[in-house]
This record gives sequence, C-alpha cells and structure tokens, in this order.
Amino acid sequence: MLKSFLLLVGRVRAFVVRDFQLAVSYRLEFFFRILSILFVTMTLYFISQIFAGGFDTPYAEWRDPFLAWITALPFLNYFMVGFSSLATAIRSEQAQGTLEGVLMTPISVPTLIVASSAWDFVQATFHSFLYLFFGWALFGVRYRGSFLLAILFLLLTTLVLASIGILSASFAMVFKRGDPFGIIIGTGSALFSGVFFPVQLLTKSGGSAFGYVSRFIPTTYGIDGIRRVLIQGQGLADVGGPLVSLLVFLAVLLPFSLWVFTRSVRRAKREGSLIQF
Amino acid sequence: MPPAATQDGPGPTADAPRAAAGPGVALSVESVSKTYPVPLAGFKRLFRMRSRPPVEALRGVTLSINEGEVFGLIGRNGAGKTTLTKIIATLVQPTEGSVGVLGFDSVRDEERVRAQVGLATAEERSFYWRLTVEQNLTFFARLYGMGVAATRRRIEELLALLELGEQRRRRFGELSTGNKQRMAVARALLNSPPVLLLDEPTRSLDPIAAARMRETVGRLARGTPPVTILLTSHNLAEVEELCERVAVISRGRIRALDAPARLRSTRRQEETARVRVGSVTPEQAARLLGPAVPRAETSARGELVDVSFTREVGDGLLDAALRALAAGGARVVECESERGSLLDVIEEFEREEAEEGSGEKEAGGL
Repeated sequence: MLKSFLLLVGRVRAFVVRDFQLAVSYRLEFFFRILSILFVTMTLYFISQIFAGGFDTPYAEWRDPFLAWITALPFLNYFMVGFSSLATAIRSEQAQGTLEGVLMTPISVPTLIVASSAWDFVQATFHSFLYLFFGWALFGVRYRGSFLLAILFLLLTTLVLASIGILSASFAMVFKRGDPFGIIIGTGSALFSGVFFPVQLLTKSGGSAFGYVSRFIPTTYGIDGIRRVLIQGQGLADVGGPLVSLLVFLAVLLPFSLWVFTRSVRRAKREGSLIQF
Repeated sequence: MPPAATQDGPGPTADAPRAAAGPGVALSVESVSKTYPVPLAGFKRLFRMRSRPPVEALRGVTLSINEGEVFGLIGRNGAGKTTLTKIIATLVQPTEGSVGVLGFDSVRDEERVRAQVGLATAEERSFYWRLTVEQNLTFFARLYGMGVAATRRRIEELLALLELGEQRRRRFGELSTGNKQRMAVARALLNSPPVLLLDEPTRSLDPIAAARMRETVGRLARGTPPVTILLTSHNLAEVEELCERVAVISRGRIRALDAPARLRSTRRQEETARVRVGSVTPEQAARLLGPAVPRAETSARGELVDVSFTREVGDGLLDAALRALAAGGARVVECESERGSLLDVIEEFEREEAEEGSGEKEAGGL
C-alpha cells in the first residue's frame, strides 16, 4: 500500500518536473501570463469604479462588484483547469506522439489521469493566488471568513469538474476533436454560474428555464460557497446547501468518468488509434 | 544488467507466470488476428453512408520465442509487423487470440506485461523535443518506478552503451536522426526488460553505428540474464546476421518460420556458382566446360575469365566444373556461390500470394 502510494507520488512528480522543464523552455510565456493577470485585475477594478458611490443592490455579495469578481475569477480559472487539463494533456500527448511512449511504461490509467493534470494545478494555484494577491496588495481588498472552508469548496468543485474533464478526455481519446463537454461547461460556466453577475438575474431577466440551467452547473455551487465564505464570512453551518450539492455531483461523476476513461483507452487500443489526432 | 528494482506489481523477476508459459518460452503468440474496425461503423450503417472495409492486419498468427533468442520478423510495408509488435507491447489489442509475455497475458495483465517489455520504434515523435536527452530518459525512468540513484546510474550506463554521452544536454529535437534512433533503444532498455522489441533499430544509422548497434543487440541476447529480442527490419543482412529464427509475414499471415539459412535453402534449391580462372581465354574455358556444364557462361575480366552457371544445391556440377577447368590447364583464382537471399524468399511469397489472390478472384468471378 505504502509502496504503491510512493510509486504514485514518484510518477506524479515525474510529470510535474517534465512539465516544469517544458514550461521553462518557453521563458517569456511565464512572464506574459503574470502580466496578463495583472491587467485583468486592473481592468476589473476600473470597471467596478463605474458603480462607486451610487450603487445599491439586493444581492449582498455584489455590493462591491470588484470583490465579487476577484473572488470568482481565480476560482473559475482553477475549475476550468480541473475540467480541461486532462483532455488538453491527452490531446497534446496524442498530437506530439508521446502518449504511446508513456503508455508503454507500467503506468495505470488513474495514475495517468492524476499525473497528466498535476502541473496544470500547480500553475493554476499560482495564478489564482496572483489574482487574490493583486486584489489585496494593489486595490485594498480584504477577505473575510475561513480560508480552509474556501479551500474545501475549491477542492470539491475542482474534483467535480475534473470528473467532467475525464469525460472530456475520454471523448478526445476516441473522437480526437469536437468535445461537447468543453462547449457546455467551458462557455456555459461563465454565463450560468454567476461569475460576472448574480445567478438570480438569470431567472429574473431570462425566465425560469434559463435560471434552471444554472442548477446543473457545478461551478454555480462552488462560486456561491466561496463567495459566501470569503465575502460574507459565513461558516460551515451556513454553506451546507452548496456543499451537499457538490458532494452529490462528485459521488455520481467521479466513478462514472473513471469507468468511461478506462473504456475509451481500451477502445483506442482496439482501433489502434492511440497516437492518432 | 540487473532488472529495475521497483515496478507496479511483480516486475521482471516474478517467476510464477513464467513457469505457466512453459520452460524457456519468453513470448508466445497464439492465433492472433487483428482487424482494425471502421470508425463509427454503426453510425455510418445507420445513415447508409459509404465506408471502407475494415483492415485485416493480422490473421491467425502463432509463434513462440525462447528466452534469450533473437527472433526476426520480416515482410514488406503493411505486412503486419508493426501491428504484431504493438500488440505484444499492449499498445493495440488483438481482435482474437492471445499474447503471453513470460506468462503474463497482454490484455489481462497489461501493466505487468509493460514492465517486462521494452519497445524501440522508429517513431521519432514519441519523445519530448524541447527536453534534453537526459531529461527525456529521466522522465521515462521515473514512470518505470526507478528511484533517483538507480535512474542516474542506468542513464549513465545507457549513454555510454549507445554513445550518447556527448549529447546528454542537447534537446531531443536537435539530435540527428541516428541519435534519435539510439534514444529510442536507450528508452527501451531503461528498466532492463527481459523482452525487447526492436522495430528497425538501425534504419537511420550510418554503417559503423549500425554495426555497433548490431553488436549491442547480440551482446544483450548473450548477456546474463539473456534478453529475448524480437527484431523487425528491412535490412535482411542484419536479420540473417542476428537472428536465430526468422518469420516471414505477408498480408497478416506468417508464411514461413525457420532459421534464416534453412529458410533460404528450403525455398530456393538453386544457387549461382561463380568461378574466376586464369591461363585460359573465355572460348577455351567454354570448351573445357562444354560436356560437363553445358549452360555455363564465360566472359573476360582483364586477364582473367569469369565463369558462372546455375546449379542445384548439393549436385555434382561445381565439382565437375572445377575438375574440367583444372584438367584443361586453367588456374582457379576464386570460387563463390550465391544462394537466394531472404529478399528472394519474401518476393517468392509475394508472388505466391498474388497468384493465389488472382486465382481466388477468377474462381469468384466464375
């Protein structure tokens, strides 16, 4: 058991080191990414200044729109990594032709899943931290509530989206392109999960059917929970609703997606299309 | 070369399944067929879309390779060599039949099989081009579960063995084609696998490097413990030099399997004898050979004369020719015979296949 765990850690580390080495081989990209996060944070701040002084809203978390955005955007970024990193990694390994080399080693499918996405999570953690840091250091944002509870929401939502990401990677494995999950979750999250405006506005302005969609997007619960914790300072007892919703999503999606991914690898082997892209 | 210490499950040292495979058998392929399905066949049928027929890459292939044996697989492009290699390496699943590697089934125990098998293909894309030689090898070694010290030691050994030491800090993308090929072999040897699959290992190497690679392959097979090697190659001389047995594969079927020399001799009973003589003119040589070797051809080569004729292997024609020439005062300078090569064997099978194919078509048309 301990040996298997150490083996898993060693393999995940190998992937992280590899991806780090690949990333530093493109040095400028790293600095431009930091610059772009700074620019986005500044842009959001200046947009929020439009409402400064004369802004009244019934939505408690939106009284300071900059605070609402700066707490949602880094997490959305994190969730999207959870969702897209595996499919991107698989597609990239297929396109490069390296997937065959990796699958020639005695690595198991779950290890491949965890290890392929590991570097993206390391990067996303750093980028998300930068959003929060710039908001705090440059624009005087003060966060409330328990950071541990916020991290719990972050982990849960990321795991749920990673499960959808595994489904997306399964699709990439078999059909190579045209991933439907990417379209639904990728573009749908920003619209339906309340990143830029309260989800209640979807029902109010778009009708009940429109608002209903947001309930099926896990990101809605993740962002709601994190905002309640970091902006309103709510505790565990107050955020039970979004927490349970995320747990239900996870209980259904994780085993299902692992089963689908294993089958898709098997199918690609049957078709001999492991390195086609 | 000791096997890698850490693997998923029992590594190359596991002996229970080895016993199940039969004594001395490293690799067994039992009635393996592979048909590549048409993508989205059901969907295409549903909408009555036109689709190409499925590709039958292998048909009932059966063979077994003994521990420490160097086994050759030859055939034209598209004959099924790479598909068979990939099935053994667990990268492709067979449609029918089974493959056992030291007793582990390639479908049921695929992770264990991968721990026993090293695959070196001529596919350059399977490495990370922006990483250095050392970084690439380290990454794959860690996936094999090798520790830091073992990885470092093994990479040093392999860089020395494959003469890549000077290239260690160069990016893979900057390597010559030959060095990329050596990298593929180095990666295949990382965890010291007991079974090695080499897909055209000398394809892009210069003659000296190719000779060294052949030497390395031979040394691995003779090493302790010996490595079992399946070699596919278009270089037939290489196959003849290295392999104890060779299988000829054509259109997905094993058409013949034997020692290279026997394969040549059983398929080609004739050989061309060439004798170079002095002290006679071409006309005198023809006259001397006349009654004994009626179909001999003679031609002048400077002051010497070349005599050539076709004979059945083992007949008395060569002896008769040499006696007749010597009796007539000719001085024999050189004598050699050229039997059919493995290329002839492949061509012969191709001809037979083509004839069978046209025969079937005609029968079908009647």
